[in-house]
Amino acid sequence: MPPITLLALIIGIPSILLLAYVFIRGSTGLRRYILTRIVLTLPMVFILGTLVFFILRVLPGDPVSSALGPKGTPEMIASVRTQLGLNDPLIVQYGRFLWQMVTLKFGNSLVGGHRPIIAEMSERFPATLELIIPASVLALIIGIFGGTLAASKRKKVTDYIFRIYAVVIYSLPIFWLGLILQLFFGVKLGWLPISGRIDPIIGTTLVTHTNIYFIDSLITGNWPAFLSVLQHLVLPTITLGLIQSGLFVRITRANVIETMQMDYIAAARARGIREKVLIYGHALKNAMIPVITLIGLQVAILLAGAVLTESVFSWPGMGSYLVERISARDYNAVQSVITVFAMLVALISLAVDVIYSLVDPRVRY
Amino acid sequence: MANQIENLPNTPPEGANWESDLKKVGFVRRLLRARHWYGADWWFVLISSIAVIGFIIVAIFPGLFAPYSPDALVGPRFLAPGEEAALSVLVVPSSASYSNLKELAAGEGSTRPRIGVVQGSSTAGDLNTQAQLIDQKLKEQGNGVRFRPVIARYASLDLALQAVADGTDSAAVVQSTEFVSVKAKFTTLREADSLTGETAGSFALGTNDIGQDLLSRLIWGTRIALIIGFTSAILSLFLGVPLGLLAGFLGGAFDRILSLVMDSLYAFPGLILAIAIAAVLGPSILNIIIAISVLYIPTYYRIVRGQTLSVKQEVYIEAAQSIGARRPEILGRYILPNVIPSVFIIFSVNIADAILTGAGLSFLGLGLPPTIADWGIDLARGQRFIQTAPWMITYPGIAIVLVVLSFTLMGEGLTEIFNPKLRDR
Repeated sequence: MPPITLLALIIGIPSILLLAYVFIRGSTGLRRYILTRIVLTLPMVFILGTLVFFILRVLPGDPVSSALGPKGTPEMIASVRTQLGLNDPLIVQYGRFLWQMVTLKFGNSLVGGHRPIIAEMSERFPATLELIIPASVLALIIGIFGGTLAASKRKKVTDYIFRIYAVVIYSLPIFWLGLILQLFFGVKLGWLPISGRIDPIIGTTLVTHTNIYFIDSLITGNWPAFLSVLQHLVLPTITLGLIQSGLFVRITRANVIETMQMDYIAAARARGIREKVLIYGHALKNAMIPVITLIGLQVAILLAGAVLTESVFSWPGMGSYLVERISARDYNAVQSVITVFAMLVALISLAVDVIYSLVDPRVRY
Repeated sequence: MANQIENLPNTPPEGANWESDLKKVGFVRRLLRARHWYGADWWFVLISSIAVIGFIIVAIFPGLFAPYSPDALVGPRFLAPGEEAALSVLVVPSSASYSNLKELAAGEGSTRPRIGVVQGSSTAGDLNTQAQLIDQKLKEQGNGVRFRPVIARYASLDLALQAVADGTDSAAVVQSTEFVSVKAKFTTLREADSLTGETAGSFALGTNDIGQDLLSRLIWGTRIALIIGFTSAILSLFLGVPLGLLAGFLGGAFDRILSLVMDSLYAFPGLILAIAIAAVLGPSILNIIIAISVLYIPTYYRIVRGQTLSVKQEVYIEAAQSIGARRPEILGRYILPNVIPSVFIIFSVNIADAILTGAGLSFLGLGLPPTIADWGIDLARGQRFIQTAPWMITYPGIAIVLVVLSFTLMGEGLTEIFNPKLRDR
């Protein structure tokens, strides 16, 4: 079974099961909301794809002549252009592009071994997942606990520390944070590796099924590989997670403070419930709702951050693939990667909205 | 103020309702009315504005602050911050009448001077280059004087210096740092000028892999960062605000289609879009500005459209319409001034974001030509030497953080002044 199919199954089956459960148990309003939301995702993907297409076509600059470089004779350029269909009318190219988006058949790479782009991406995409999932979890943990702590110690030193943290983290260039962590933990202390996903020698012993090394080494019981994967994950995860945590701290804090001023909290307080229980048991639950929306809004920051983090840590994911192919002037691959990113953004915001509607019964069409 | 508005119907105003409403309009008035200049926020605004003004001054006159030109090769490669540069200096007998290579050429006439160097040291190469330069100049003058020294190689520093002390050699070329350690042994020798005429110096932030002064590059980099930040923010402001005003004011199909496009653009990871645009356009400052400004149009659009929609419902707009104001006048005189404060806030945060994105792009090697003094480019260059020259990545990053932080804090402070309701957010 090819890795990408397996991966699709791992992610796809639980989400379909979840959706089915929601559909059977949920109310009519919820069902209608989710259906409408799924239908609305299609135009979003379509518009994003169209934007990508026109930005890459309308702007000046000829990808083929720059891909072939000074060696390219006019005949060669012409033949490659015909081969890629760049001489067809714009509307035909656009139609073909949309068809590629639907079928995920992106054609072959223009450089190197001219492999199918979808095959190259199925190697890179799991690496990006392996990076962004733990990073988001870390960001959420820091954000929720830090934000709640700051809110509970309002106008005290802890509060100010977390507020300053949120602003400073927001101003940090993610690639610089990565470099500083590399310098400190990798070079000065020598505790952690500073590049790659796995030790190259141990990597040869790893049998891959999903290309998510974390899962692969776990299911095959390859413990040295597992350890190496964990070590390589630490610095990139911290980099990407910290950068995202700033906004989470901020929003959680603001929401907990707002919720704490509500009448039902005052009522609970009057009944003599302890402050800790009030904050963590009562206020946090309601304050979490806007935080879930923020996860959806953060996707853009997350993916952009992933591109830079991957480049700093030589992490072989989608972001470094994009940067590599831009330097190699592989126009086909660049367009495909950006399209996939667009679809990812649409899918994640769909998922977040569905979860949101489950948590907050007020959200209905 | 909220109380005032609620009490309005009970207390009869001096003029008509719409007249007192019209008086509320205006950016400066609102700024002056912001009585909530309380506590830390006031200081936030003050300190960050001073920092911002400081950065702007540095960006306008980098030449005044930078000791060297950003591209000049001024020192040895990889010199750590504050470390003394090891220069190749001429060591001559204390009694000698000459103290640099040129004087050596003139004094000796037809006999070729012997100059000692230590084998395998970098000084030999320096001597060779300088000697050729001097010889070339003398040849052009054409009065028969030439400078073709005999270069004597010694196995150690001591031997080379001993030869000068004995009078075998006229001079020796050694590293200034090495000479300091053996100075006591050779009391009859003195350190003359350095070969290139430079005085031994250190560089506050060190030098990079090709010997450029990092402090100067840092200072000149401020200019690029602020040019990118300001120009792209202004560009997206001038596109986003009118579009938002029109969409909010006109509504209908125009609004719906534009909003759909803007929302999609807003949801898309900005840096990736900028990467695509920059990659297609090729590296140059103008292209990086275009790429970044496209990203932030939706930010202005969304806020301005939302505000226009709510302002449109106000009584004074209806009043203005009833006294016969035309649509452009309503937009420009009554709606725009209400929208400006929030645009102002976004503008400040937008500059910060644009500087970050610009640095990210040039870090990836996509935004700017690699010769420009830019913080992102310096960081990308420093990453290759992270093991040997960590100072190369430390300071450009700190510069980015400081600039971005001061613009962000200014935006934060302004938000709290204009929207006191949001002060806990």
